[in-house]
Amino acid sequence: MIRLREIRKVFNSGRPSEFTALRGISIDVELKKVTVLKGPSGSGKTTLLSIIGCMARPTSGRIWFEEREITSLPERFLTEIRRKTFGFVFQQFNLIKGISVIENVMLPSYPCGEDIREIRKKALELIQFFNLSGKESSKIEWLSGGEQQRAAIARALINDPSIIIADEPTAHLDTKLSLEFMGFMKMLKEREKTIIIASHDPIVYESDIVDNVLNMRDGIVITGDL
Amino acid sequence: MILNPAVIALLLSSLLISGMIIYSSYFGYQILRRWDIKSGSETQLSLERRTYLVSTILSYAFGFQLISLFLFVFTADKLHSIFVGAMCAAGTLNVNKFGYPALILKIASFLLAGLWLILNHADNRAYDYPLIKKKYLFLLLIAPIFLSETIILTRYLIGLRADVITSCCGALFSTQRKGLVPEIISLPALTMKLAFFSTTLATILSGFYFLKSGKGVYIFSSLSAISFFISILSIISFISLYFYELPTHHCPFCIFQGDYNYIGYPLYITLFVATICGIGTGVLNPFKTIESLTGVIPRLQRRLTIASTISMVVFLAITLYPILFSDFRLD
Repeated sequence: MIRLREIRKVFNSGRPSEFTALRGISIDVELKKVTVLKGPSGSGKTTLLSIIGCMARPTSGRIWFEEREITSLPERFLTEIRRKTFGFVFQQFNLIKGISVIENVMLPSYPCGEDIREIRKKALELIQFFNLSGKESSKIEWLSGGEQQRAAIARALINDPSIIIADEPTAHLDTKLSLEFMGFMKMLKEREKTIIIASHDPIVYESDIVDNVLNMRDGIVITGDL
Repeated sequence: MILNPAVIALLLSSLLISGMIIYSSYFGYQILRRWDIKSGSETQLSLERRTYLVSTILSYAFGFQLISLFLFVFTADKLHSIFVGAMCAAGTLNVNKFGYPALILKIASFLLAGLWLILNHADNRAYDYPLIKKKYLFLLLIAPIFLSETIILTRYLIGLRADVITSCCGALFSTQRKGLVPEIISLPALTMKLAFFSTTLATILSGFYFLKSGKGVYIFSSLSAISFFISILSIISFISLYFYELPTHHCPFCIFQGDYNYIGYPLYITLFVATICGIGTGVLNPFKTIESLTGVIPRLQRRLTIASTISMVVFLAITLYPILFSDFRLD
């Protein structure tokens, strides 16, 4: 269980441009399930995802991942958690242009100090799993939108994280590719991964694989379980 | 004041370090008053974020504090040529009444900065800030020494006048004067040799014993501290004589000069490293039962003991070399 208690996030605190993105959110996210944060733009979905994924710290409030409190952790421990516990799939994919597909997929593993041959082997397995075989040496910008998204998911899985975090993953995809994405999420759920997706795409939040939808608006969660 | 680049660097760095210590002490006071790791309040989270920044910057400041002791001695040695009568750093430090107090405070702050860095290193290795209140309380306690050092050092550096006639080390470290130094010089060489070699060897052996058995940490730590003082006395009393091959030249500063292959630097650096690491091993010991430090502290103590013991062995080897291989004999 990931437990969030009274999470607040204020940007530019004390300045004229102060903005409160999250207003005391307390939720429980079940492990090995698919949870969707649903809401319009500016509702705080991405901010909440960033905080759950240890990419940002809350202004106040605490988060427990299983029994461990993670918001108080010093940066060096957070880095370790980010690398090994969470895999991120971004709205814009955030793949690095100019380098190949396999190099993009291998990238998050480099700081872990694993043997480079092992990393390469895992990356090739993921590339095969996501139907990108034969494209591993291609520059990332040569790939289509759907292929880039699959490469982004492969990259998120290279360190075998237990939690996948996806921020508006279908925003730039057509219906067919969005359904394909949800198909991959289903496969990952079957592999007992915890999946947290921020989206206002009905293809995502109305999908059969989703266990819990949290409606967000103006920095608060409005409803709970479906 | 003499506008020498090293003098300006020493002055500015000391002022910067003191400024950082004042801010960190104020921050440490807030930590002592408001820190509550169980709370998720805005204040607590703000303190958690800031302590990472403050302790990182303070680590660099204290890191420079360690280096600045030797920069200070180096500068004092380099400047001796502009003061009439001075032959080495001893004469430069004697140019005004703040020189030697500045040196003593620099040595004290060197040792204290080293111990704070060890505490901070251990604290940063744990996930729940187990030593945070202790390290900031320690900072509050030692802050006056750093601030005093800055004041005294500033007065010393600003008070440097090229027209001052000072004394050379031969006069300062002689039995003709009154005070502590002649007392040290007058100590029987044989007694000092016995005290020096027995404490140094006991420190090294207790270090090995701690590494092997995990026992006797406080004995090792205490011996490291005792060894430091006896070693300083011994350098003045008889070790320096072997480097100079002169029976009456007790100066602890001339060995920083090129004529003696700058041997003073490795000699004192190894002694100071051995002392800080040795004392640090004992300082950490009470905290090894803290849950988040159970794996960290024994490993750190082991590394510190290895560093201390190796440094002490090198220090001993440097002192033994002229005693064994020079033609000079002290009867």
